[in-house]
Amino acid sequence: MNNFLKLVWNEQIKLYAKKSTWIMIALIAAIVIGAGLLAKFMDSGIQTEEYGADWQSELQQENAALAKEMEEDEFAQFSNPFTIQKNEYYLENDIKPLPYDGWEYVLENAALTSLLSLFTIIIAAGIVSNEFKWGTIKLLLIRPISRSKILLSKYVSVLLFALMLLVSMLAASWLVGALLFGLNGASPMIVQETAAGFEQTSVLKEILLGYGFGMVTLVMMATFAFMISTIFRSSGMAIGLAIFLMFAGNTLVMFVSQYSWSKYILFANTNLQQYFNGNEPIIEGMSLAFSLTVLAIYFAIFLAAAWTAFTKRDIAGN
Amino acid sequence: MAEKAAMTLIGLKKTIGSKPIIKGLTFEIKRGEVFGFLGPNGAGKTTTIRMMVGLMDITEGDVLIEGKSIKDNFKEAVRHVGAIVENPEMYPFLSGWKNLQQYARMTEGVSQERIKEVVELVGLGNAIHEKAGRYSLGMRQRLGIAQALLHKPSILILDEPTNGLDPSGIREIRKYIRNLAEKENVAVIVSSHLLSEIELMCDRIGIIKKGELIAIEDVKTVEDHSALKDVHIEVHPLEMAKDYLQSEMDQTIAINKKELIVSAKREDIPQILKNLVNRGMDVYGVRILQSTLEDKFFDLIGENAIE
Repeated sequence: MNNFLKLVWNEQIKLYAKKSTWIMIALIAAIVIGAGLLAKFMDSGIQTEEYGADWQSELQQENAALAKEMEEDEFAQFSNPFTIQKNEYYLENDIKPLPYDGWEYVLENAALTSLLSLFTIIIAAGIVSNEFKWGTIKLLLIRPISRSKILLSKYVSVLLFALMLLVSMLAASWLVGALLFGLNGASPMIVQETAAGFEQTSVLKEILLGYGFGMVTLVMMATFAFMISTIFRSSGMAIGLAIFLMFAGNTLVMFVSQYSWSKYILFANTNLQQYFNGNEPIIEGMSLAFSLTVLAIYFAIFLAAAWTAFTKRDIAGN
Repeated sequence: MAEKAAMTLIGLKKTIGSKPIIKGLTFEIKRGEVFGFLGPNGAGKTTTIRMMVGLMDITEGDVLIEGKSIKDNFKEAVRHVGAIVENPEMYPFLSGWKNLQQYARMTEGVSQERIKEVVELVGLGNAIHEKAGRYSLGMRQRLGIAQALLHKPSILILDEPTNGLDPSGIREIRKYIRNLAEKENVAVIVSSHLLSEIELMCDRIGIIKKGELIAIEDVKTVEDHSALKDVHIEVHPLEMAKDYLQSEMDQTIAINKKELIVSAKREDIPQILKNLVNRGMDVYGVRILQSTLEDKFFDLIGENAIE
């Protein structure tokens, strides 16, 4: 076990010795800071003012103004009803709206998990194929260590890298959010729109779910890229395929969703959000347990294919 | 032969697709010996080396390292091997030192002191803290050797170690290798497609052609001064010299263009020349064919062509 940790340590050293890794981290920091500043200082329609003691009449006045605006402005007809309904929910349930805060900023940044997926795919696609590209694979595989262990250490390193990105992004979002917008306590409740209408829920729970759903796609696509690069020894091909499928996957599923076999496609199952907040699954007859099973099978196939290619292969040429 | 071999190849075969690449190699290498693995490009040297270190699957036969099979007992076998396969490739973005640390962590019992020791041995000095990407080929070759020596292997395999090195670099490598074999009792396997580059560092040379071992030659007999060598003498008049030497030395002497070819010991050459000059013949040049090994190599291999 001890020497497995040393292998992972080796991989981490190689990862962080490269400039491209730090550029990824810097990009994430820049986006989190930039988006925060934009939201704070541009008119982005977020509620930063705190409501007074008579917040009910403030909301009513706001709704009246919004309704009036809708009569004059066509664009407002699209955007205003959402705010009006939300305000009505506050009034009906006697909840005083809280101003936008750092927690909500963290929650909104859950959308950035696709950026984390992108970066993790790039790392996963390079971690094996680069050893072939540099020619160092020959020095790596003539140590008294089994190939399986070396491959596993590389896979674990990819996951550690993803975890590091995730933690850095959460920390940066929280810090930037707290500095720019303040915090409504340690675990405030927020009002969210779901398929079943508005609902009050804990922001921490939403953050956990939002990032958690993002991680499913991340892990699956990173594992896919890891497999492709191990089999074909080409990081470019692995990155291209994984990113294309990540973004086009849903569309592909939509194309064939009239067939019942389409529910076995990986991308029909990566979005677990379809089972929460009163959403309907994209193909009838799917359930959370079904999707988790399908994901587990794909995951096992990806790793088994990578393992077979890596342990059985003759290391020839460069 | 009483000493146990460091490495033994037993009927080693490799078939890729339906094409036999290596057609059954059997030989052994002893500790303290430098073994040259010689053959033209494409003869199967690198394939054989890849099988020796477990980078390639063995189709048939086996390689025993310190008595352990690389096929069935990879970890125990490869523990005793240090190798550079083809070029000494390193992580270009890590310093030489950090490159060595990578490999040190992968084998038990390699201390920081050992890394320092090895760096000193190959003479990398302060350059060890520069990024390996900036190293010259000679420096990379040294770092490659350092990497191979970290875990004190009993067998060192160097694939074309003189490739791309200048003559002084080759001389230096030769010095390291002789030292390792003689002082540390390491078995060294050196592959090359150029006889001239490894002739001086090897004790024995195995010649491989088209995946078959066609000869194993002892280099030391070649250096033996009492052996007969072909001496070419450019002399005028040719016939007179021939008749004289034939009667005097009681052996057949061939004529090749303007030269006589005499089979003689090195120590006899001055006397032959003196005799010729004393009889009033003009000697324009004398040359000894560089080594019988080179002749043999060319006889066996033919031209240095890839077949």
